[in-house]
Amino acid sequence: MPLVEVSGLTRSFGDTNALAGLDFEVERGTVLGMLGPNGAGKTTAVRILTTLLRPNAGTALIDGINVATEPRRIRTRIGLTGQYAAVDERLTARENLQLIGRFFRMNKADSRERAAELLAKFRLEEAGDRVVSGFSGGMRRRLDISMSLVARPIVLFLDEPTTGLDPRSRMEMWDLIDELTADGMTTLLTTQYLDEADRLADQILVIDHGRGIATGTADELKDRVGGARVSFDVGDAAPEAVLAGIGELRSALGEPFTADGAFVVPVRPGTTAPQVMRSLMSAGIDVVDFELQRPTLDDVFLTLTGRPAEEVVADE
Amino acid sequence: MTATHQGTAGGGATESSNALRDSFILGGRAIREALRTPDSLFPTMFIPLFFLVVNVGQAAKIFPSEGTPFLFGQSYGAFQLPASLLLSASFGGAGLYLVEEIEGGYFDKLRATPISRMALVLGRLYAEFVKTAAVATVMVLLALAFGIRIKSGIPGFLVMVVMVSLWAMVFAGFMQLLALKTRSAAATQGGSMIFFPLLFLTPNFVPRDQLTRPMEIAATLNPVTYIMEGVRSLVLEGFNGAAIGKGFAVVGVTMVLMLALSIRMVNNYD
Repeated sequence: MPLVEVSGLTRSFGDTNALAGLDFEVERGTVLGMLGPNGAGKTTAVRILTTLLRPNAGTALIDGINVATEPRRIRTRIGLTGQYAAVDERLTARENLQLIGRFFRMNKADSRERAAELLAKFRLEEAGDRVVSGFSGGMRRRLDISMSLVARPIVLFLDEPTTGLDPRSRMEMWDLIDELTADGMTTLLTTQYLDEADRLADQILVIDHGRGIATGTADELKDRVGGARVSFDVGDAAPEAVLAGIGELRSALGEPFTADGAFVVPVRPGTTAPQVMRSLMSAGIDVVDFELQRPTLDDVFLTLTGRPAEEVVADE
Repeated sequence: MTATHQGTAGGGATESSNALRDSFILGGRAIREALRTPDSLFPTMFIPLFFLVVNVGQAAKIFPSEGTPFLFGQSYGAFQLPASLLLSASFGGAGLYLVEEIEGGYFDKLRATPISRMALVLGRLYAEFVKTAAVATVMVLLALAFGIRIKSGIPGFLVMVVMVSLWAMVFAGFMQLLALKTRSAAATQGGSMIFFPLLFLTPNFVPRDQLTRPMEIAATLNPVTYIMEGVRSLVLEGFNGAAIGKGFAVVGVTMVLMLALSIRMVNNYD
């Protein structure tokens, strides 16, 4: 039985339908990446699942418990990390963790012990007794996630956890989420970035205008978009020579075409860009420039909805 | 990391005991924060003391101890002290702290835990009570050093501090209510300006019966008048049951109203 089951979830704000019949499931021990642009309904879905918002219709069950009718039971089983590091800046990291523990009915000794455990786990031990206002963005994020894990939730909600982080902190956050999922944590992750969903999620749900429009693994979604493409500039080489240079790989690649003076070849699963490069070089083709192009969120959206992601008006 | 739920909720504890426990925890957090930023308490004490000194300096000669019956033999500073204490009680920052937590997502973080909804309202109000009691005590001690006496003695002093501190909870509670409703720092800050009419449409310079007729009507309709008169009676007269009773009645009724509205608001907040 899936740990999270969502069926026909709707929620509107005035005339705006933030969710218009959302359905999905999250299996135990897996990561579902909910992918969509601003305003697609991701945050609304997370807020309903974490009991912060009531749905207008539909059902959402976590571990078989209805989030709308039994919110108190749900709150003992979930962890939430929102779009911004939600920590008390005037307390120390240790105090932040202990405070949350106390709200989960831990006694002082247990909350102290759990705080120490999490500070060590999230590499905040040395900074544990410092007031959080002096923390870097990455440290605050780590503390925020650790606060969500104080009561050992059965499902963790990460709502755009890398929004606003610099590239280094973003990579650190990915590693952190990898560690959590390696431990078997069931996670629902919302993101605007395909590469993030690709790296972290077992299954991806693409949502648009409050509805799921596609679901599958990252590879499956990429295939729907056409997968990766290699683009190479071969200078004055004749097209026939280039095609001959690709040689045996032809059957494993998509139909080549030219764009802006470069050769573009779709790469299908099982073939790698370096294989294409090696094949061309061994055929004596002088490759001036070579680029691997991966599908972006825009590519996915363009394929699935016929319009770029930017056209979606933010309503969250 | 263990990803196993331990079932830490409830444990048979009643809703109300959880609400009290969580309120004390949240209140303790707010007090700790205040102790870490003592400068935030400075205006709470300095501005009311400033007004006390200025008002006494301007009007003390008009109202000499001898020949001014409503002073009961004390200086004009004793008459002004309750107004300064109530001004101090109107500086609670609970509403603004709440808006800050709403805007930063921390309020939602708390709401996603099994914390009592009532505690989200009561926590900072409890801290306001403690902070106001501490500030009021310091202010009265300073007043004593300048010759002001509390006619009702130490018991009266305690009653006075409790009444003022409860009023601080009520005032801060309405600011929290505004914060929950508007979720805007600007609106909450603007709403706190209500303390001007509440505090100054009162018999803060002379007793009610010596005000002009329109001002007397305004003061009579203003609930803060009765708290001010209750506190003033403890300073000047001793234990005046009627005045104290009216003061606590106003605090009680407004407290019940504020709590009912706040709990309704926080339960329906989404």
